[in-house]
Amino acid sequence: MTNNATHLKHGRRDFLKGLGAASAAVVGATTLPGKALATATDRKPRYGMLIDTRKCVGCHACSVSCRSENNVPMGKHRSWVEYIEKGTFPDVSLNFLPRLCNQCSEPQCVSVCPANATHIRDDGIVVIDPDTCIGCKYCIQACPYDARFLNPETGAADKCDFCVDRLAQGMEPACVASCFNKARIFGDLNDPDSGISRMIASNAVSVLRPEMGTKPNVFYIGIDYADEHDIRFQKQYIRVTTHRDGNARR
Amino acid sequence: MHELTWGLPVVAYLFMAGLGAGALTTSASVLLRGGPSGKYFDVARYGAFIAPIPVALGSALLVLELGSFQAGHWFRFLNLYKVINLSPMSLGTWLLTAFLMVSVVYAYTFLSRNPLPGDTRDMLRRLSAWVGIPLGIGVAVYTGVLLGALPSRPFWNSPVLAMLFLLSSISTGIAAIILVRALLKRKVQSDTQTHNYNETGFLLSATDTLLIGLELLALFLFVMYAHLTIGNAKAAIAVIMVGGELSTLFWLWVVVIGLLVPALIELALIVPRIVYQKAFYSHRAVDILVPVSVLIGGFMLRYVVVIAGQITYPIGL
Repeated sequence: MTNNATHLKHGRRDFLKGLGAASAAVVGATTLPGKALATATDRKPRYGMLIDTRKCVGCHACSVSCRSENNVPMGKHRSWVEYIEKGTFPDVSLNFLPRLCNQCSEPQCVSVCPANATHIRDDGIVVIDPDTCIGCKYCIQACPYDARFLNPETGAADKCDFCVDRLAQGMEPACVASCFNKARIFGDLNDPDSGISRMIASNAVSVLRPEMGTKPNVFYIGIDYADEHDIRFQKQYIRVTTHRDGNARR
Repeated sequence: MHELTWGLPVVAYLFMAGLGAGALTTSASVLLRGGPSGKYFDVARYGAFIAPIPVALGSALLVLELGSFQAGHWFRFLNLYKVINLSPMSLGTWLLTAFLMVSVVYAYTFLSRNPLPGDTRDMLRRLSAWVGIPLGIGVAVYTGVLLGALPSRPFWNSPVLAMLFLLSSISTGIAAIILVRALLKRKVQSDTQTHNYNETGFLLSATDTLLIGLELLALFLFVMYAHLTIGNAKAAIAVIMVGGELSTLFWLWVVVIGLLVPALIELALIVPRIVYQKAFYSHRAVDILVPVSVLIGGFMLRYVVVIAGQITYPIGL
């Protein structure tokens, strides 16, 4: 494994030197290992995110920076945080669940699109072309994570795209950059040496609604799965706050 | 507060597309089965004229409801015609377009001063009838597949839903024909005309009764399939079971008013003809009220299903 990775690193360096882009190699190697790999032909990146909910304090820096970065219309959300309150004093807990598009490997939003307006890029990010999208809202119905919404300004479906414009500049997504407690780790899941891959390998991680078969690329550490249905069955105080319009969490 | 992604325009579309598809399927079937004598030619004519109207209106509603249209990109929906893929909506778009064209051609063949079986447009009429039947069934089925294909909507995610919508579509199509027939019935009829009218009425009522019976069965399967399991489907179906938010809408408007009442009345009408060989007779008021009841039931079925699917969601995160 280590030998293989070392070999790949050398391969990348040689490749970029060949292009005469030494400065780009420095930027690429320090911030986004996967980004530099994207230019190499031997391996494509698959971007993913790992959210360590134990480090999240529910400050909404991600929600706010996302709105500001992507000009999200009022009342709509690409990124949001849910609060799960449980128990009665002194046995209580408050857990946070930052949410965003899961950039699934088998996204049903893509397979139901009648206009081919949404697709998975080579780097695994699910994107929408707002000029092709007719706004039928079928993908919004199909997403088990309720990650999509209709953008009233463009009339097209909209959602988190890992800030593809920032990635193209070699920067991390806005929510990752703004997370002061480093609860979000972004990187290349195809690179076993990337920070995210190493964290996933060395922790118990989970994804949301794995039974939907969507193969999400957003992973979590330490989720509290309590939801509205549990309120009926567990004989204790549970309150879920979604910070979105409407109460229903889907 | 529930946020509905698909609201009344989609409900109305599903109902109207089903009605039109059912009307054309019925019309084309009786035309082709009626033989050269044209026994059921009038029924075929009513069905042919009914079919394109609700489907065209419903499709127009869908376009008006699109996010792109409402944002001012009025012709962006034409992007639908640049692709064919396995999305139920893409398949549905092409089916619907083909259906609209064929149903207009079919209606045109009846659009002369005195249309008769064997006239100059007979060939075209029979051809479009043959093409129209599978297209009509296709449109009716796809409305159910459209909703049923999504695991993220456990209420819809049932293989029975498409069958239920198909049966309801044909039933509402027949109901529309019965209604139009009763409304346009001539005050003065010759004996032959009265006999033909009643015999055709028997065919329509008997078929509708059978379809409503099958629809009740499909509905039973739809509910039981979900209710007898555990997990997502059971949690979702609870919304129409006793104590659920939509239980009154479902049990009163869909089951009682939309299915049981018309089925029992029609049964009472056709049993004397079937068992005792008595001449079929149905009062004009009954011929108006029964189909209205069926049509209300058909609309409410779409309404309850579309809303219930969006206010329920999978268990867990």
